[in-house]
Amino acid sequence: MKTKKSHLKILLLLTLFTSVCSFGQKQIDGVVSSSDGTPLPGANIVEKGTTNGVTADFDGNFTINVSNDSSVLSVSYIGFSTKEVVVNDKSSLNIVLEENAAGLEEVVVVGYGTKRKRDIVSAVSVVDLKEVKDVPATDASRLLLGQAPGVIVGQTSGRPGQELNIVVRGLSSLGADSKPLYVIDGFPVGTSTGLSIDPADIESMTVLKDAASTAIYGARGSNGVILINTKQGSEGRTSVTLDVVSGLQQVPDSRREKMLNAQEFGQFQKESWIDKYILNQGREPLESEIPLRIRTPEQYMTSTDWFDEIVNDAALFKKYNLTITSGSEKTKSVISMGYLDQEGVIIKTNFERFNLRANVNTKITDEITVGLNVTGSRTNERFIDDGSRNLVVGRALWADPREPVYNPDGSFNDYIGGYGGEGDLIFGSPNPVQLLHEEKNTRHINRLLSNAFIEFEFLKDFKFKSLVNTSLIGSRENSFRPSTLAANSFNSPPPRDAVLSETYTEEVNWSTDQLLSYSKVIQEDHALDVLLGYTAQEATLRNIDGSGQKFPDDQVQFLQNAEVFSVESGESSWSLLAYFARLNYAYKDKYLVSATYRREGSSRFGSENRWGNFPSVSLGWRVSDEYFLKEIDWLNDLKLRASFGVTGNNNIGNYRSLSTLAPENYILGNSFQPGKVLNSLANPQLGWEESDQYNYGLDLTIFNNLVFTAEYYKKTTKNMLLPVNIPVISGFETTFTNIGKVQNTGLEFALGYRKQITDNLRLRGNFNISFNDNKVLEINGDNDEIRNGGFYSTNNVSQVGRPIGMLHGFRNLGVFRTEEQINSSPTQDGAIPGSFIYFDANGDGEISYDTTDWVEIGNPHPEYVWSFTLGADYKAFDFNAVLTGAENYDVYRNIESTTLNLDGVFNVDVRAKERFRSADNPGNGIVPTSNFWKWERESNSFYVHDASHMWIRSVSLGYTLPLDEGALLSNARIYINADNLYLFSDFPGGNPQVSTAGGINPGRDDSAYPVPRTITLGATLSF
Amino acid sequence: MKFSTKIIGTMLALFICSCSKEFLDKKNPTQLGEETFYNTEVQVNQAVIGIYSQLQDIIADQWLFQEFITDNTTVHFNEGNRGNGPNIESIEYWQYNSNTGKIYDVYRRIYNALGNINTVLSKLSETEIEASAKSRFEGEARFFRAYYYFLLSQYFGDAIIVEESIQDPSEAFEYSRSPISEIYALIENDLAFSISSLPKEISASEAGRLSKGAALTLQAKVSLTQKDYVKAKTVLEEVIDLGIYSLLPNYADIFDPNNKNHRESIFEVQFQGDNDLGESSGFIYNFYPLFSQGAVTGFSGVDGNGWNIPTLDLINSYEEGDLRKDVSLSEGYTNNEGTFVDVPFIKKFHHTHSVQGRPDDNWPVFRYADVLLMLAEAINETSGSTNESLGYLNQVRERAGLDPVSGLSQDQLKDAIRHERRIELAFENHRWFDLKRTFTPSELVTFLNAHGENERANPTTSRGQIGFSPGDYKFEAHEILFPLPERELLVNPNLKQNEGY
Repeated sequence: MKTKKSHLKILLLLTLFTSVCSFGQKQIDGVVSSSDGTPLPGANIVEKGTTNGVTADFDGNFTINVSNDSSVLSVSYIGFSTKEVVVNDKSSLNIVLEENAAGLEEVVVVGYGTKRKRDIVSAVSVVDLKEVKDVPATDASRLLLGQAPGVIVGQTSGRPGQELNIVVRGLSSLGADSKPLYVIDGFPVGTSTGLSIDPADIESMTVLKDAASTAIYGARGSNGVILINTKQGSEGRTSVTLDVVSGLQQVPDSRREKMLNAQEFGQFQKESWIDKYILNQGREPLESEIPLRIRTPEQYMTSTDWFDEIVNDAALFKKYNLTITSGSEKTKSVISMGYLDQEGVIIKTNFERFNLRANVNTKITDEITVGLNVTGSRTNERFIDDGSRNLVVGRALWADPREPVYNPDGSFNDYIGGYGGEGDLIFGSPNPVQLLHEEKNTRHINRLLSNAFIEFEFLKDFKFKSLVNTSLIGSRENSFRPSTLAANSFNSPPPRDAVLSETYTEEVNWSTDQLLSYSKVIQEDHALDVLLGYTAQEATLRNIDGSGQKFPDDQVQFLQNAEVFSVESGESSWSLLAYFARLNYAYKDKYLVSATYRREGSSRFGSENRWGNFPSVSLGWRVSDEYFLKEIDWLNDLKLRASFGVTGNNNIGNYRSLSTLAPENYILGNSFQPGKVLNSLANPQLGWEESDQYNYGLDLTIFNNLVFTAEYYKKTTKNMLLPVNIPVISGFETTFTNIGKVQNTGLEFALGYRKQITDNLRLRGNFNISFNDNKVLEINGDNDEIRNGGFYSTNNVSQVGRPIGMLHGFRNLGVFRTEEQINSSPTQDGAIPGSFIYFDANGDGEISYDTTDWVEIGNPHPEYVWSFTLGADYKAFDFNAVLTGAENYDVYRNIESTTLNLDGVFNVDVRAKERFRSADNPGNGIVPTSNFWKWERESNSFYVHDASHMWIRSVSLGYTLPLDEGALLSNARIYINADNLYLFSDFPGGNPQVSTAGGINPGRDDSAYPVPRTITLGATLSF
Repeated sequence: MKFSTKIIGTMLALFICSCSKEFLDKKNPTQLGEETFYNTEVQVNQAVIGIYSQLQDIIADQWLFQEFITDNTTVHFNEGNRGNGPNIESIEYWQYNSNTGKIYDVYRRIYNALGNINTVLSKLSETEIEASAKSRFEGEARFFRAYYYFLLSQYFGDAIIVEESIQDPSEAFEYSRSPISEIYALIENDLAFSISSLPKEISASEAGRLSKGAALTLQAKVSLTQKDYVKAKTVLEEVIDLGIYSLLPNYADIFDPNNKNHRESIFEVQFQGDNDLGESSGFIYNFYPLFSQGAVTGFSGVDGNGWNIPTLDLINSYEEGDLRKDVSLSEGYTNNEGTFVDVPFIKKFHHTHSVQGRPDDNWPVFRYADVLLMLAEAINETSGSTNESLGYLNQVRERAGLDPVSGLSQDQLKDAIRHERRIELAFENHRWFDLKRTFTPSELVTFLNAHGENERANPTTSRGQIGFSPGDYKFEAHEILFPLPERELLVNPNLKQNEGY
């Protein structure tokens, strides 16, 4: 809670920077141009406070006579921000105008088409790619960070090649995935781009947030849609641009969990033994009674910090892209090549991508255009799994610090801990460093993504476009664990059986669209746009998995060498068909109407409920064009809008409506007999999960440089496809039913500001903040709930009237100090001084050893999230900073049930020094005793931490080199960028955005791959 | 212009018409669906095989509720890892409650199997396969239904009876618990059909399938539990009169995987180890001691889970010279460093297997020694200690290399039979039902608390520095029945919990 205020303070300070502002008869000559140097013919130049004015000629030149040196010229041009220039003693002026901050004339990509920004009447956010051009993004998801209100972007892990987690306007489903749909060049590829797109190839990114904008995507629209269009060539000179980025990544020391060193842990083991002895024997042991192994902690002269050993403090990041664009009147093309090489901050992990792209379009005749976008990529990855104490990141926390990484002869110390002796029960583990060196998990993916289209223009106002999109993905995953490693289970020293697994998959996904559009302005006042469309899509995934165990040696790592091996194969597919239509109508640009309708059929639903209808309507009113506001100078644009739409969610997997017979085999006559068991009931009624969403918005532009957008939405998702608990006497635990209701209501505000302060200084700033209120309205009756978690781990519980996935457990009231206190408290069977005190929620005088006394102990949903972008250009320098933050939410640090498990079987967090030892030595009253396991490890609020934070996400500083006219280079810029520069938070884990489970189980932290800070140097050279 | 209009027309026709209704019909190519199954004899046979297969899962955990809970076995205490406290250990310490996961598991598995049985029975009634095959399939399915209802009544008392396939999930909320008498009526009805339809002998190629003898033995067990000793005696004598069962001379041969489905075996759950078919039996890995690093399992570095460890009390109750002791258990093992570790473990199901984790052992459900001892019990209850009742008991003792007993009173013989069953059938999941059957509830409470006191004072395995919770090993009368799982009470609030929970 304390952090919340401090974050706001820092923010205020930064806001101040942006608000630092500035201010004879004489002939002035000048030229007006845009920031890229294009002259602006027809620009208006007026001496402020007078009627004296001129317009610029074809080359942007003008001449004006002004009264004196203190005169101010006001220069304006449609689509650009008006600029005021003080004449001073100059006789010639070079005036550069900025494009209008609101970008109202800008063309925005929307579903199956484009629209002028000023005509948009639904909730759409356009990502300003200029703000994020310097971040070391490996895929499109990183570009969204902090860029769109209502879009929560979580960097849940720092694994190289990890896509960021995107949630648009809150978790809306309990049963299906809540991830948005990605559409690349018109092809709905699914809920992930799969890193198939090089960010350097992206021309534009738009996020469709409300149902009015996404309903045209029907059953895939309810979680928002992210439209990505790639670069296309334009008519003009051939240009060659080379981008080179390289840098270093590291895990900042402040974001590492601090564990005990060897001597401290030795001391901990000794003290724990003594404390247990006193508890059981009622007296202090003699020094000679203490087991030899733990008697002298002073003996440990060296200590291993395992986490330090597995991180790479200078992990390299390299990224190159070469883009060649060219275009004639008929044919335009873009060719790009990219290479990315990212080392992980955990040693021996990395991610590498090669990608190629060719986008070509050509006019065959005046009416017919054909085009082809094709991109191919290859990714190679060596990865580790994370998210559990049994995996390497977790192990590096709890492995015995008294053991060295290497034996004196330089070989790996292949078994850490696991002595099994009295007084020292620390679990045996594989050596984390050796594990990273010797266990190989690799993934190799080849992708081919293509779009081909042909477009006819006919009868003047009609267009017909036919597209075919395909995505082909082939992947190979391979993992080999040699015999030299100890097993992942506790106390299992090497050698073990070597294990190999190999998986090959093939995915074919294709779609075709037929789009007929009509566009006409009738009698100047009536603008009409009509679209009719038809689409079909089908995807099939095939796989073959092999696994083998026991290899004669660790060298030949192929299945046939295994003593025991098995192979399985599978296939799964889905398809959809849809018809859709859209009508846009605008009267005098003032009254705007848009309506869409989609009818969609999907193979994923029951035969009796296969087709769904998804309508939407939106209305806009440009109030600023009304006579009563038209005269107000400073009001550039004011638009009010309202929309309603219905969308669906089909992220439920294939074949859910069908009954299945699972193989359940047996042995008879000592030979194998195949058997079958019915393992689910058919449900031909199974249908769509449906969301109704209302959206009310306001767009305001004033003073040409201040843009404000506000949105209010209310989204109700119903008929979710949920596994509803049924009595098991039916033979089944659950049945999938269209049931339940979840509501998300929210507010989003965005404020943008751009200003040319002086000739040399330009400032820009964006602030956005989003509030979302999530609530489950219905599940299945009043008492039902969806509970995920165990008695000793994080529990996410969704209950009616509460947000999805609230954290549940015992409420921790501190630590018992004395027997008297235990006796006077509600009964806790087996509690001793030093045990946690739990809250007796049902007031029956007893804390029962089950979930009866559990209560809500944390809310994993931020009250609000915000981001702030600040930019400045001064002469040839440019500066950009992005801050993001989230306030008032909780994370359950499941890993602490290991790192603060005081049994002496794990190394412990330094906070364990503050533990309870006796009534006279009670520690900090928060950390319990090491004497007894019960009433310590149960899911309880001890593990819940406030994760409010503010993150300096990126700061970049660039310099554009002055170049001579006619030089080989036409443009050259160098820059430095710091990504994830600094985190302000009291959260004890490394990453407050962690979510090791995701989906409807938010707010879990269990030793995820650490998020690095990345410092990169880059250069962009154009020829 | 005309050219392009033509192309548009052609393309529209091509794309829109080519996508017909079938385009959206996707069947899972990797699995069959219900609508196309259960039609031929081969398919129905596969469905019945599926029913047999489900018993493998239920048997895998049965030790928890029928052996581990009793005075026969305990835990190999794991000082370092307390994670299984509230689940598995709670059964040993009689600390179970309605949230104990394993209790829900067994409840769920049994009703899951019953659901499948009811589906197969309903499909069977609609198929037109050969009458004799149909009758045998029905006999097999109904045997399993009877067996599961017997388990349910023993675990939970009154239980919900489902005799038909539930197609609409909402119907499942309409059921309530039936008194135990109705469960017995259902069992009797099903078993009567099984007894009449199952073959007397099973050919070697079908070894493992149910026979008439199995149905009779289950009927006898149920009758004995109902204290219908007359009927129990009649049915047990029918088993003997089948003339196909006898005691094997050597006790160890009963459990030898090379000697499966022998003449003492009436019904055993089939497994096959050492291959990749997925039908191996894993239970012995639950019973191997912890930390033995391969010294017991024979696979370097591989431990067991340390559950179902023979208690000192059981070990000490073997008579001098009993040949069964060494076959049934081991009092410890020599570790890799050559030191003897006094952690006992079950040996009955410990047989060399070549692939780690894939033993070949079958699980004995009913065997002839059980029939003989049940018969001795039935006769003792009706006619007391007679030559006949003593005779059946002594047949079993003789094979164990022990002297016959004689001159016992009815009560003494009752105790002797209980003791003999404990030793003869040790670790075969009979003990809990035997205790419940042969003691009154108050006797059972006294008996178990005495055992608990004993185990607290002198634990079978060392507990390091960790003490007992005050509630450990305190048995209360209501704990004779398990609580209904909390999950079921939440889903269906009309359901009543057993008293005391």
